[in-house]
Amino acid sequence: MLTVCPYFHVHQPYRVKRYRVFDIGNDTEYFNDNSETDLNNRKIVEKVADKSYRPTNRILKELLDRHPEFRFNLSFSGTALDQFEAYAPDVLESFQELVATGRVEILADTYHHSLAFFYSVPEFERQVKQHEKRIKQLFEVKPRVFRNTELSYRNDLAKWCEDNGYLGIMAEGWDKYLGWRSPNYLYRPAGCSKIKVLLKNYKLSDDIAFRFGNKAWESWPLHADTYAKWIHAHHGDGQTINLFMDYESFGEHQWEDTGIFNFLRAFPEMVMRHPDTSFKTATETVESYEPTGEYDVPEVLTWADTDRDLTAWTGNDIQRDAIAATYRLEEDVLKTKKKDLIETWRKLQTSDHFYYMCTKWSHDGDVHAYFSPYQSPYDAYIAFMNALSDLQLRVKHVVAEQEAKLLAKQAPEKQFCETCAQRKEEPQTVAVVETTPEQNSVPVPVKSSDSFIPLQKWWHRVTSSVRSLLTLLRRK
Amino acid sequence: MRVLTFGWEFPPAKNGGLGVACYGLTRELLQAGVEVIFVLPKTQETRGDARFLFADQERLVKIRHTDIMLRPYQQASSMIDVIVGYDKQGNPIIKSRSIIEEAHRFAHQASLIAQEEEFDVIHAHDWTSYLAGVAAKLASGKPLVLHVHATSFDQAASDNVDPAIFKIERECFALADTVVTVSEYTKSIVVNKHAVPAEKVQVIHNGCDTNEPPRLPQTLTELKQQGKKIVLYHGRISIQKGVDNFVRAARRVVDVDPNVIFVISGWGDMTNQIIEQVGALRLSEHVRFAGPLWEIERDRMYQSADLVVMPSVSEPFGLVPLEALQHGTPAIISKQSGVAEVLSHVLKVDFWDTDEMANQILSSLRYPVIRQQMVKEGKWQLQSLSWRCAADKVRRLYQNLVQYVTP
Repeated sequence: MLTVCPYFHVHQPYRVKRYRVFDIGNDTEYFNDNSETDLNNRKIVEKVADKSYRPTNRILKELLDRHPEFRFNLSFSGTALDQFEAYAPDVLESFQELVATGRVEILADTYHHSLAFFYSVPEFERQVKQHEKRIKQLFEVKPRVFRNTELSYRNDLAKWCEDNGYLGIMAEGWDKYLGWRSPNYLYRPAGCSKIKVLLKNYKLSDDIAFRFGNKAWESWPLHADTYAKWIHAHHGDGQTINLFMDYESFGEHQWEDTGIFNFLRAFPEMVMRHPDTSFKTATETVESYEPTGEYDVPEVLTWADTDRDLTAWTGNDIQRDAIAATYRLEEDVLKTKKKDLIETWRKLQTSDHFYYMCTKWSHDGDVHAYFSPYQSPYDAYIAFMNALSDLQLRVKHVVAEQEAKLLAKQAPEKQFCETCAQRKEEPQTVAVVETTPEQNSVPVPVKSSDSFIPLQKWWHRVTSSVRSLLTLLRRK
Repeated sequence: MRVLTFGWEFPPAKNGGLGVACYGLTRELLQAGVEVIFVLPKTQETRGDARFLFADQERLVKIRHTDIMLRPYQQASSMIDVIVGYDKQGNPIIKSRSIIEEAHRFAHQASLIAQEEEFDVIHAHDWTSYLAGVAAKLASGKPLVLHVHATSFDQAASDNVDPAIFKIERECFALADTVVTVSEYTKSIVVNKHAVPAEKVQVIHNGCDTNEPPRLPQTLTELKQQGKKIVLYHGRISIQKGVDNFVRAARRVVDVDPNVIFVISGWGDMTNQIIEQVGALRLSEHVRFAGPLWEIERDRMYQSADLVVMPSVSEPFGLVPLEALQHGTPAIISKQSGVAEVLSHVLKVDFWDTDEMANQILSSLRYPVIRQQMVKEGKWQLQSLSWRCAADKVRRLYQNLVQYVTP
C-alpha cells in the first residue's frame, strides 16, 4: 500500500506600498497601493485569482466529484483569506466548496504567515489561535496537523505542537537530517513521544513546483503518466509520498501554457491506476502509519533554496534589522490594546516583507530565483522601515496618551502623597547624612508622621529635633 | 599583439573619468602582454606623469605626444588659445583655434604616426580621437576600434546636440570595425541615434581599482562634530550631471531634517546657475561648494561623506559610485547611467524624481544599517568589476579583429 498526501499552500501577503519618509506621521495606510505595479494588492489578488485560484479550484472540484478516492490538504494564511474576502469573494466560496466535500483537510498555520515562533513564542501562539478561529468561522473545521511558515521547522516547534494537541507536523525531508533514510515514511520528532512528522519528498514535489515548465529540464515535457510511474516506483520502499508545494504553482508559477492544468486533471487517475495506490489527507496519513525512526532537527529547517534555512529571510543585515525592529515593538503595541494597531503590526510580520530584502542572489547571480515587487532589496527595506517607523510613532502616541490618562486618574491622591512624601523625606535625608554611631539612640522623626498631627505641627517637630541633633553634635 | 591607441590624458590630468578609464585599461592590457603605443595630444600636465606611471614598463608602452591642444568636455566650436610659436623677441604667438580644427590636426599627426609605427590594431578613445583613429586606419589599413565613453547626446543631456560633434561621431562609427561602448545604455544611444548596426557594437563596462584605499584623516570635522550628516555630489557641474535636481532634492530633505549638509565638489559651466539656485531655494546654510577636488582631497571627501549622490541626466558609465564604495561610502545613483547595469548595492532613482531622491537620502541617513550593508556587499561586488575583466574583453576583441587580417 502506498498513499499520496498532496498539500497546497495558499498565501498572499499585504505588500507595503512605496511608503516614503514624508509619509511618516501623515499616512496610516501602508498596504493600499493603487498603482499598476505589483505592489497593488487588490490587483495581484485579482490577477492570481484569474490565473490560478479560479481555474485550479474548478479542476480540483471536478476531480473530487469524479474520484471519490481523491484527497488533498490545503493551508491558508489569514492574510490570503482576508484578501479573498475583500477582493475575490467567489474564490473563497470555491475553497469552501472544496472543504465541504470532507475530503480536503485544512492545516494549522500562523495567521500572518510569520516567523514569530523564532522571535516570540507568545505572539506565535496568539497568531495560531487567531488562525484556528478564522478557519473555524469560514470552514467549520479544526486543524489537527500543523505546518509553519515556509515549512520552517525545529525540534522545539514539534514539541510545542505535541503539547498543544496536534497529531502531526510537516517538514522538509532534507538529506542533512535524513541521512540514508527515506522521506516516504513517518518519523518521530526528537524529544517527542506522540506527534508524527510528515516529510516533504522534495524531488517529486519540486518536479511540479519548479521544474515543470523548464524546457531545459531533461524530463520536459512531463506527463502525468510518467510522473505517476515515478511515484509507483516507491512501492515497497515507502508508505506515503508527501507532495508539498505552493498552491500558486498551478497557473501562477507554472503558467497555463506549460500544460500544468492538463497535468493536474490527469494526475489522480494516473496515480490510482496502480492497484495499490491511493490518496490520504494529512490526518489520515498520521493515523494510518507508525513512525519508523527519529527526525532530529536542532537548527531551523525550511523549504527554501538549496540552503533549506532562514537565510532567504534573515540572511543579511537589513533583514535582521527590520525583523528585530518589528518584534521590539511587541510589548508596546500590545499595551495599546488597539485592534487596528496590533493587526497592522502583525501584517508587517509576514515573512514576504523580509524575503523581498534578500540579497543572496547577488552572490550567485540568480536574480530570477527571488521574485520581488520592489525594484531592489533596498527599496523594499526603505518602504518597510518607513511604514514601521510610522507604526512606532502611532504606538508611542497611544501609549503616552494612555499613561497620561492613568496619571490624571490617580492625580488627586498622588499629589497629596507626593507633597507629604517630600516633606517627610527632606529632614530624613538630613538626618541620614548627619548620622554618626551615637545617633542611633536618637528618636527618628519618622515616628511623628501621625496622620492626626497637622502638617505644620509635624514640620515644627521635625525641624526642632534636627536642630537639637545638630547642637548635640556641635557640643561634642 | 601591438595596439596603437589614441587617447586623452592619463591621471593625474584633472578632467574626469576618461583619463582614469584609459589608464585602467592600458595598465591591465600591458599586464596581459599587449604592447601599447599611446598617443596623447600634447598637454603639459600629462606628459611627465604618464611616463612616470609606466616607468617600469618602458619597454612595452610608448607614449607619443603631439602638440594638439585638445581638451575634453568642450563644445566643437569652443575656442582655445594655442601658442603656435615665438616671435623674434621671444614672445609667444597666440592663436585661437576651434576644437574641431584641433581634432583634424590631431588626425593629420595620427596618419604620420601610423606610417612610422608597426602595430596590429588601432584603438581610439572618445570623439576628439575618432578622426585620428580613422586617419590611422586609412594610412595603415589596420582594424579600428572606437571606444565610446560619452556621446554628444550625453553632453547635451538632450537631443539638442552639437551638430559638428554628432557628424564626426556618425561618420567615424561608420568607418570603424567595432564600436565599444561602456554600457548597454550608451549602446542603445549609438544604435538608435547614430544608426550603428547593433551587432557592430560591443559593450565593455568600465572597471574600478579593487585594492582597499588607505583611511585618511577626516575632513569637514567641524560639521561632523555638530552631528551633521554629509551628502556629497562629486563631478563636473554641467547640465549632463543633473546637479540642479540634486539641489531640488536637498530642499526637500532639509525641510524634513535640517541636520543634513550637502557638499558639491566640482566645477563646470553651470556653477553660477547652481549657486543662484541654492540662493533662490534658501539653502545657503545647507549647501557647501568645495570646488574641484582631486586625489587625496577627493578621497578624504569620499571617506568623510555619509552618502554620495550621482544624479546624472545621462551618464554613459559613471565611476563616482564605484569610487565612493571603495572608500566605504554608499551611493544613490541615477537610473539613467551605465553603472546602474552592473552595480546592485546602491539605491537607484530616476534623475527627475527629486521626491524619491530625497526619500532615499533621508531613509538611508535614518537607517544606518542600510548604508552599512550597501558598503559591505557593494565592496564585495566591486571585486568582480575590475579593470582586468574589462581589459580581458578588450584583448579578446583585438584577437577577433586581427584573425581576419592577412599579414
